[in-house]
Amino acid sequence: METVPVESGLLLAGVLFMLGLISVLIRRNIIFMLISVEIMLNAAGLAFIVAGSRWAQADGQVMFIFILTMAAAEVSVGLALILQIYHQLKTLDGDMASKMKG
Amino acid sequence: MTRNDFLSVVPLFILTSAAILIMFSIAVKRNHKVIYIITLLSLLADFVYVVANMAGTRHELEPLFVIDGFGVFYIGLILLTSLLVTMMSYAYFEQREERKEEYYILLILATLGSVVLVISKHFVSLFLGLEILSVALYAMIAYLRKRERSDEAGIKYLILAAFSSAFLLFGMALVYVTTGTMSFEGMAQYLATVQGLPFMMVAGLGMMVVGMGFKLSVVPFHMWAADVYEGAPAPVTAFIATVSKGGMVGLLVRFFDTLHAQQYPVLVLIFTCIAITSMLAGNFLALRQNNVKRVLAYSSISHMGYLLVAFIAGDAMGTEAVTFYLVAYFVTTLGAFGILATLSDTERDAEVMDDYRGLLWRRPWTAAIFTAMLLSLAGIPLTAGFVGKFYVIAAGVHTQQWLLVVMLAVNSVVGLYYYIRIIAVMFEQPQRDSDQPHMLHPVAYIISGFTMAILTVSLIWLGVFPAGLMGIIKGLL
Repeated sequence: METVPVESGLLLAGVLFMLGLISVLIRRNIIFMLISVEIMLNAAGLAFIVAGSRWAQADGQVMFIFILTMAAAEVSVGLALILQIYHQLKTLDGDMASKMKG
Repeated sequence: MTRNDFLSVVPLFILTSAAILIMFSIAVKRNHKVIYIITLLSLLADFVYVVANMAGTRHELEPLFVIDGFGVFYIGLILLTSLLVTMMSYAYFEQREERKEEYYILLILATLGSVVLVISKHFVSLFLGLEILSVALYAMIAYLRKRERSDEAGIKYLILAAFSSAFLLFGMALVYVTTGTMSFEGMAQYLATVQGLPFMMVAGLGMMVVGMGFKLSVVPFHMWAADVYEGAPAPVTAFIATVSKGGMVGLLVRFFDTLHAQQYPVLVLIFTCIAITSMLAGNFLALRQNNVKRVLAYSSISHMGYLLVAFIAGDAMGTEAVTFYLVAYFVTTLGAFGILATLSDTERDAEVMDDYRGLLWRRPWTAAIFTAMLLSLAGIPLTAGFVGKFYVIAAGVHTQQWLLVVMLAVNSVVGLYYYIRIIAVMFEQPQRDSDQPHMLHPVAYIISGFTMAILTVSLIWLGVFPAGLMGIIKGLL
């Protein structure tokens, strides 16, 4: 079976990461910002799997599972905070919610 | 797991079991006092265990942890700091209406994360420690749900922290794909076999610096600092400024010292740029602020810049200077935020300048302690801050980092201005008598006063007799 070269795997992960990065910077809705950050985290996970397959070690996949777990914990706290913000401000627009300046 | 392995991670077990114990105790009955005492005792027991049993030993727990003198000193420092934060939290949370008990679980978990960070020698433990710390902090920052700004601070910190974790993880993956190992020592062995730094390694380490720099709030990753400091409850702000940054400093020193990063010009250049911009931006942005919490946020950015000067110097002397500076910075920051917490009332934190107008005439002791803390932040002789800065400059001169040393000296002068401004406001005559605030049980005030007294005494002790602490640091490292 022909294996995928490491460079293409890393390139894919890099492209995904950049897409997530750009989308965090241009989105104004807080939920979409959270989703974009998840894309970035998953891109990092993909890079770990590529790295693990290059060295034929399980470490990369173990790390990916840790990343998934951490992302889940983060999203649950994040959604709780977003609910709270929506109750108070009736908006999910990041610019509207930002009151502190300076 | 051998008996020795087990004994060397007892500090982690004490913290985890304390968190579980508190959770059960809340399930049985909510009682702020009981939870508070459990937290205090477990942190104290942990600290005593570390001091009594672990100094002078070196134990490696393959592949994740290494418990050496450096790690033991940082664990002790973190536990002691958390203990002091807990002590100043009681009076602050007692006067608020929200449920206060879960705060202590989060505090202990965040401490655990920080402790894991300073003893980790592998990417997995680094990542786990960092995330235990971060996820607990998200909830702590937004803890006072009824306050308008706390949710905003919480979500800002969450999005930016997750964003920077993604950078850190991608950087780690790039390092792993180049070196084929995730342990720090393995990377150092790999680097010894190649000439210079491979491109992928530079990219990976650069992305990791983004993640680490975020936690330290150094420029250009500092955007969150002022907003989070302002929105979070005062004891939590003290915690972020000390324990969270201290854990990351411990990790940074261990990671880059294992890799001998100071011999690569490109990494030194990156850190030099970060240090200089942090000092400049922190001090000049602080000049424009009228909110005391924001002033302290920007001042902490510049302090991290000073600390990086010693870190860039790098040798044994640099590590000692970093450690001493960190202790001095912890004592001072805890003191400043402790005063902020004691002055806060049920509605909001004492953060605008008007809260401090004429403080000297209303509460002379509080004003005197706050003045001492601000002078130490500015680096006036006879305070801990001065000695810390002295060691940092000595380390910089020792390795001929003239540009950094000059920048540090110039910035210290700029910094003096905004600290003196707060002190001047405190010395003004008050225009009106403020009404007497709602009183708590006197024990709450005694605990807060006791905490402040400890901090002030250690501030002056470190400033007058720094040799004692320096001896301990030299002995352990």
